[in-house]
Amino acid sequence: MIRILVCQKWVAPEGDSRGASHSPADRAALELALHIRDRAEDQTEVIVVSLGGPGALHGLRDSLARGADRALWISGPTDLRSDAVAAAIHSAVSTHLVEIGVPDWVICGDYSADRGSGSVPAFLAAFWDAEQALGLVQVTEHSASSLGAVRRLDGGRRELLSVSSPAVLSVEGSVATLRRATLARELAAATMEISEATAPLGPRETPVEVTAYRPRARMLAAPAGQTALERVRSITDTATAAAHGETVALTPDEAAERILTALRDWGYL
Amino acid sequence: MPDSPMPDNPMPDNPMPETPFFEVVVVGAGPAGSCAATVLARRGVSVLLIERGPFPGSKNMYGGVVYPRILDSLHPEWWEEMPIQRWVTRRSTMVLTENQAVTIDFRSQNWGVPPYNGATAYRPDMDHWLASKAEAAGARLLTSTTVTGLITDARGQVCGVRTDRPDGDVACRMVIACDGVNSFVAKEAGLYPDLNPANFTLGVKETLGLSRSVIEERFAVRDREGVDIEILGGTQGVNGGGFIYTNLDTLAVGVVLKLPALAAQKTRPEEIIAHLKSHPGIAPLVEGGEILEYSAHLIPEAGRSMMPQLTGEGLLVAGDAAAMCLAAGIWLEGVNFAMASGMAAAETAAEAITAGDVSKRGLAGYEKRLNSSFVLADHDKLSRIPGLVLSDRVQHQYPQMIANVVERVFRVDNPQPKPGLRKIFAEERKRAGVRLRDLARDGWTGMRGFG
Repeated sequence: MIRILVCQKWVAPEGDSRGASHSPADRAALELALHIRDRAEDQTEVIVVSLGGPGALHGLRDSLARGADRALWISGPTDLRSDAVAAAIHSAVSTHLVEIGVPDWVICGDYSADRGSGSVPAFLAAFWDAEQALGLVQVTEHSASSLGAVRRLDGGRRELLSVSSPAVLSVEGSVATLRRATLARELAAATMEISEATAPLGPRETPVEVTAYRPRARMLAAPAGQTALERVRSITDTATAAAHGETVALTPDEAAERILTALRDWGYL
Repeated sequence: MPDSPMPDNPMPDNPMPETPFFEVVVVGAGPAGSCAATVLARRGVSVLLIERGPFPGSKNMYGGVVYPRILDSLHPEWWEEMPIQRWVTRRSTMVLTENQAVTIDFRSQNWGVPPYNGATAYRPDMDHWLASKAEAAGARLLTSTTVTGLITDARGQVCGVRTDRPDGDVACRMVIACDGVNSFVAKEAGLYPDLNPANFTLGVKETLGLSRSVIEERFAVRDREGVDIEILGGTQGVNGGGFIYTNLDTLAVGVVLKLPALAAQKTRPEEIIAHLKSHPGIAPLVEGGEILEYSAHLIPEAGRSMMPQLTGEGLLVAGDAAAMCLAAGIWLEGVNFAMASGMAAAETAAEAITAGDVSKRGLAGYEKRLNSSFVLADHDKLSRIPGLVLSDRVQHQYPQMIANVVERVFRVDNPQPKPGLRKIFAEERKRAGVRLRDLARDGWTGMRGFG
């Protein structure tokens, strides 16, 4: 039996349940799990887990309606620090879903609808001593026990990963579009059983004061030039005709190779 | 909890065994649908209330006054719970010309205490509340689901609905269509005759943000008191009217425009609202308001003359889907008619299911109920009024005539002596091009309707 744990956070803006939702990333996480299950040759189970107040039950029922097999609600405050959230999930799964042991896959959204730090998946990987592949923008291939993924890096670069279970993944919303629930499943989800656990008290997130970005001051040499105009020209570079491109004359094949080389150098490929 | 559980039902079981089954499917969780579902659930009928939006009220465009006394029987002391904005204690009717305004203003503090009269409300709040009552009674609410068609059996009897969800068919014994103006369900069932655009108006509304204290100062109200201003004229020559309603910290300002006139004039609705807001009689009321929302919606304004067949084989139509909005000049009501028709449809449906006959004949009690209630009684009585109110004379000639008469009555032209009222009226009537026989005819029509 392959077991996939999907961790989601149900967020109600300003306490109004009418606008409550999972983030697109959380929805993509569930769809990825369902997709792996649907393609798996071995028996596979998708379990959704959510920590929060009673409102989280709505989110879990929504995930059950869309195809998750089981759900676990961890009752607790929504402002726990990421390590405490991960500890609560690890503890609840270990206690209430003993048969799971270490999940084959733990899939999370890269961010929740209230835009937290996105660090829960890393803590989960630490607790389960599993591999981690975080911030995935694409899952290119998969089997029940291994998958290839693309991760976004700084500077427009990409990283290709090959991940084997057990592992913790966090995905962006672009990875998959969550399926709609069938009508029968939507109706049935209202009465489906949801396991319950209670989160132990843990440290809370401390609000961080957000201020406008101010770059750090840097020491610069005074511009060269005898007159003010020359100094301004030297700063603004207006007097030079710097070439910002490269002109080459190549055959089509050579040109294609040159473009590919440049793209590799720049980190796009 | 059900008031009176259903007896053993003589009707066959689920006609489509592979699909979910409810005895009644109500399409649309607006006021009509939620009230219908509440009545059915309390009678022990299994009912599915289908809403296309993510929550009831999310798809509504509304800026008006709700008259909820019809809820006295369904939700006693509804005013304790219902999410309203302000209780309307002041009603004004304005007649506007380009630079004149005649206002009849009425205030009653009796409307500010239980059981109240009318209230301004945000429909996302109100519809959500009504639907929660239906759920509490036992109805099953299904949101984010659009009914795309009716399923009928070999006899043409409605026996289910098709939705846009995967495997989205639902079997049922009958359907109540409360899917609002331009009802696709009623049209699919062939209950609507040819639709005439002249029967519809386009309601266009801006929600303007203003502080609570500014609203109370400008409109001379306190606490939860509110104002309803209905406007004749001010629509740049397009037949229709305008309105201003006070919410707690917003104003609903808009116009209602007759569709063919709007199309012929080739003027954008938002330009007409801007023009209305710049009128000297309106501008001081709305000045400084931040536009928070702009929306538009069709309104079935022709009353009885445009109503569809209300009953089909296994199908009832209620609320705006049945064109039950009352647009009769001084009376502009819709939500109360929707709630009452929804409740009447539900009572009829419960009886028909008990009797085992949901055919058109078995559902005939619906129209009888409506005829014996204010719903069709008011529509019948006022059937000529919508046409009168939207006529060219009432829209263009009478406002100018009235404003000029009032201006001359109160104008002091010394050293000229004051003219007699009869002389002023005769002169202004001629200046406005109003013929006496047309005035008499319209007066007679109004007397028959309003009298």
